[in-house]
Amino acid sequence: MTEFYRQYLSVAVLIGAAALMFGAMLGAGRLLRPNRPQPEKFITYEAGSDPVGGWGQSNVRYYVYALLFVMFDVEAVFIFPWAVNLKSLGVYGLIEMAVFIIVLTLGLVYAWRKGVLRWA
Amino acid sequence: MTVVLFFIFGALTIGGALGVVLARNPVHSALFLVLTLVSVAVLFLLQDAQLVAAVQIIVYAGAIVVLFLFVIMLLGVDQTEPFAEPLRFQRPVALALGAILLAEVLLLAGHRWATGAKTARGVGITGGAFGSNIQRVARVLFTTFLWPFEITAVLLVIAVIGAVVLARRSAQTPDSESESAPRSGS
Amino acid sequence: MNPHVDFHAFAPEIVLTVTIVAVLIADLFTDDSKLPARIAALGVLGSLVPVLTLAVDGQTRSLFGGAFVVDPFSLVLTGFFLVAGYVTLLLSFDYIGEGDYYQGEFYVLLLTSLLGMIVISSARDLISIFVALETITIPTFVLAGWRKHDTKSNEASLKYFLIGVLSSAVMLYGMSLVFGLANSTVLVDIHKYASGHTPALFAVAVFLTLVGFAFKVSAVPFHFWAPDTYEGAPTPVTAFLSVASKAGGFVALLTIVRLGFFPSGNSWQPILWVLAAASMTLGNLAALRQTNIVRMLAYSSIAQGGFILVPLAVAGDVRGNAAWQAVVIYILIYGAMNLGAFAAVIAAARRTRSAEISRLAGFGRTNPAIAVMFSVFLFSLAGIPPLAGWFAKFVMFRAVFDANTTVAVVLGVIAAVNSVIAFFYYSGVVRRLWFDEPAAGVELSSPRLPVGLSAAMGLMTAVILVVGVYPQFFARLGEIAFQRG
Repeated sequence: MTEFYRQYLSVAVLIGAAALMFGAMLGAGRLLRPNRPQPEKFITYEAGSDPVGGWGQSNVRYYVYALLFVMFDVEAVFIFPWAVNLKSLGVYGLIEMAVFIIVLTLGLVYAWRKGVLRWA
Repeated sequence: MTVVLFFIFGALTIGGALGVVLARNPVHSALFLVLTLVSVAVLFLLQDAQLVAAVQIIVYAGAIVVLFLFVIMLLGVDQTEPFAEPLRFQRPVALALGAILLAEVLLLAGHRWATGAKTARGVGITGGAFGSNIQRVARVLFTTFLWPFEITAVLLVIAVIGAVVLARRSAQTPDSESESAPRSGS
Repeated sequence: MNPHVDFHAFAPEIVLTVTIVAVLIADLFTDDSKLPARIAALGVLGSLVPVLTLAVDGQTRSLFGGAFVVDPFSLVLTGFFLVAGYVTLLLSFDYIGEGDYYQGEFYVLLLTSLLGMIVISSARDLISIFVALETITIPTFVLAGWRKHDTKSNEASLKYFLIGVLSSAVMLYGMSLVFGLANSTVLVDIHKYASGHTPALFAVAVFLTLVGFAFKVSAVPFHFWAPDTYEGAPTPVTAFLSVASKAGGFVALLTIVRLGFFPSGNSWQPILWVLAAASMTLGNLAALRQTNIVRMLAYSSIAQGGFILVPLAVAGDVRGNAAWQAVVIYILIYGAMNLGAFAAVIAAARRTRSAEISRLAGFGRTNPAIAVMFSVFLFSLAGIPPLAGWFAKFVMFRAVFDANTTVAVVLGVIAAVNSVIAFFYYSGVVRRLWFDEPAAGVELSSPRLPVGLSAAMGLMTAVILVVGVYPQFFARLGEIAFQRG
């Protein structure tokens, strides 16, 4: 086993542990709980009233949130290589990254000033 | 070991891709897509392309699939598309083109690297002696491609502005449309 | 590690970027609805200042390992894009101000697209070109759908978006193959690679890259989005799309062919030849049958795109820079004519409230000033001397005769036939303007035209007349563009 695989062994172990825990929790629930099926139990809970049926259509405005998330997600992607090379990139890299983040922040400020973030 | 992992994750990639196409529920398709994308990320890792693997998981498996799910929710999950093909000849043509593509890929695979480029692990594309993959990417990203990199920030802001402009209802009053609750499915 | 950055070379881009940020902030934190427009206009003019100082300096500046080069070529085109952007702003002020539209965002998006254009005129490597092209296109997706309550505008935006991302994907795939083969994204290195023996895969890569560009410049058979998008988008945006955005695609195409693929002539010449011939012929034939003036101009701009492609397609056989000069001169003149034509359409539509050609009947009697300028733009597009259009056609044909190969002459004949066809539909509109009885319902005593709109039309008319009579002006710009700095 080479160094390469040894490094990722921990990742594999973590994934395995996650799967095991997930299975154990659901499995334990299945073993412990009583099994009394009733048709009412399969109805979606909607604040006491009967559900309209099916999936509701969500509002377009949620999409802006998703997009804001994507924006900062992509920012993170660019920050990784910068963080790894922080020393050798030096002050110059810091300025570059600062400009990048400031411009991105404008997007957030825009969304904020336009009242998109408020859910009144 | 590499070969074993390659086949395991190659199979998962293809399985996930089939799931995307075959699943009836669009949400399931999106989840199968996650499987495919994560498997591809592992394939990238096997090529020693750590940054691309990380990007694959963070951006694609994370962000892009989230966007897909949002769009699916926006359209409503139970609106099943009719499977009748509007253009009859489409399916055989698609099959034929797919077969040609497969033949092409197999042919090129026989020539090892189609483009003659080497893997990042071997004598690297930019010359191997500069340390790890991420460091090499950082070096070019923050020197040679500094300007495209900064423009990317502007582009991301534009994406948000575009989404806000298109998603909001009216121009003048930011408060008037706030009452609109999520509409229930029709 | 710290690259040396020549900030003077970057100054136009920096000024424009700062302007974009300023417009956004002004829109967010002030209530003055006129302020974003003012800052935008000032910023565009401000970006022209460093272009002039760089031109006076006259030195070729190469940054980032040759990925970004400021030379006479990039300066001429940066200047062109900035002027075209400014004229678009002039057209937009009242159009956007009067509607129930967002104001600040409009200018932010327009300026960002403009930023992409001035970057593309200096970009000399595949990644920069690609990012710049996306910067041009992505804001225009939103701009095309600006009239949100109009289904036509939604259709325009959606079609443009779908075709745009598809073409980007195809182009990027082609570029990635080019990179894999040439082992570099810098055009100079690709040029070196293409000089040697290239495998068949290189032709595939070039083909895919050029197909991507064909979508961007709406060349036949990749044009079908253009008429619907042009019709549905707000007219100032249409003017911007058909002039600046299209020219951006052509500039990138010219750069990539001239500095990258050039030695491997067999891989790109046939593709461009087919695109040029198809665009001219189909664009003109379709334009003949249009009843809507915007759709007619859309097809006409497809045909004009074909004319621009002609010198590119024969460039391999032309000695010196004549073919490249022809492309640049044609782009400059086409920009003036088409911006003018769309300005006239906006002005006419303010009076007739319609874009139907039939509604323009007798417009010359009710609104002679607009009609005269409209006729100037249309006749110039048709290529009639002494208007600038003839010189554009002249340099194009000169490039064809310089090449003097059979394929080039065939293409020249196709171009000549098409020039005649084009004359019919342009003059058809002019006849409507002057010789038909006025249609009912056209306001005679309408409010005065906005200053910006009149200024844009007047400016473009002046350019067309001056260049038509004194073509050396643009010819010299074309020569300068390809001088070694």
